[in-house]
Amino acid sequence: MGILEDKARARLFYKYLSKVYDTINPLVWNEQMRTEALEWFDPQPDDRILDVGAGTGFATEGLLEYVEEVYALDQSVHQMERAFQKFGRRGPVKYVRGDAERLPFAADAFDKTWSSGSIEYWPNPVAALRELRRVTKPGGTVLVVGPDEPHTGVFQRLADAIMLFYGTEEADEMFDAAGFVDVEHHVQQAKPGSPRAITTVARVPDADADVSGVAAATTESEPVDTAAD
Amino acid sequence: MKESLLDIVCCPVDKSELELEDAERDEGEVVDGRLVCTECGEAYPVEDGIPNLLPPDMREEA
Repeated sequence: MGILEDKARARLFYKYLSKVYDTINPLVWNEQMRTEALEWFDPQPDDRILDVGAGTGFATEGLLEYVEEVYALDQSVHQMERAFQKFGRRGPVKYVRGDAERLPFAADAFDKTWSSGSIEYWPNPVAALRELRRVTKPGGTVLVVGPDEPHTGVFQRLADAIMLFYGTEEADEMFDAAGFVDVEHHVQQAKPGSPRAITTVARVPDADADVSGVAAATTESEPVDTAAD
Repeated sequence: MKESLLDIVCCPVDKSELELEDAERDEGEVVDGRLVCTECGEAYPVEDGIPNLLPPDMREEA
């Protein structure tokens, strides 16, 4: 996996990518796929929901069809500017700048946590997934949309060079290592030939079971990156 | 940001509680100020109403 070691490089890359992101994004993740994912996520009206890597607010907009407020975290204020235009600065979206791998939220602060189109930029996805688990209440749902491993063309070269893509097996390993249960993967595709997305729906264990040490015991081949969180 | 956000945010580094200092308010919103960690003392700015809770090593360039 092309996991980035260096966060500065990731951010520089992201600055370039954000220029074309809205152009390529609909190929990977469109409104119909969002609607489907929202049904799996199943937000309830009283749920307090966090959107990690909310960016321009595409998913946030869908979440607001279910709940009155959404907490939106992103590193980049440039991405947020577009969300400000859609939702206002003081409207239903509560913005916070922060890093997915070191979330600035208290444990169990949210009923459900969503992240779409962000995991591919996380240098250490398992660390970030553990953070998603930490800030989500026991029994709460976490949904993550990432890009399925591409097999051809420019996306393959990008994948090899810099971005994280993963198949369902790797996704299983990552979510297990991060301590989730009831992990389900859905491969979504806008149309034949389009890049595919993997949408993973997982649950935070009910009890306050200590599962953070599981990773070390379960990585026999091709271990996922389990650097300190 | 609304002041009630303090109920759920924390220091991204040590996860301790944050205290609001030097707050400027406008119609119930905190538009400027600092969120200071009660444990490590790190100060996180509120910029134009948006709390910047990026870890210190990421704050400048992101």
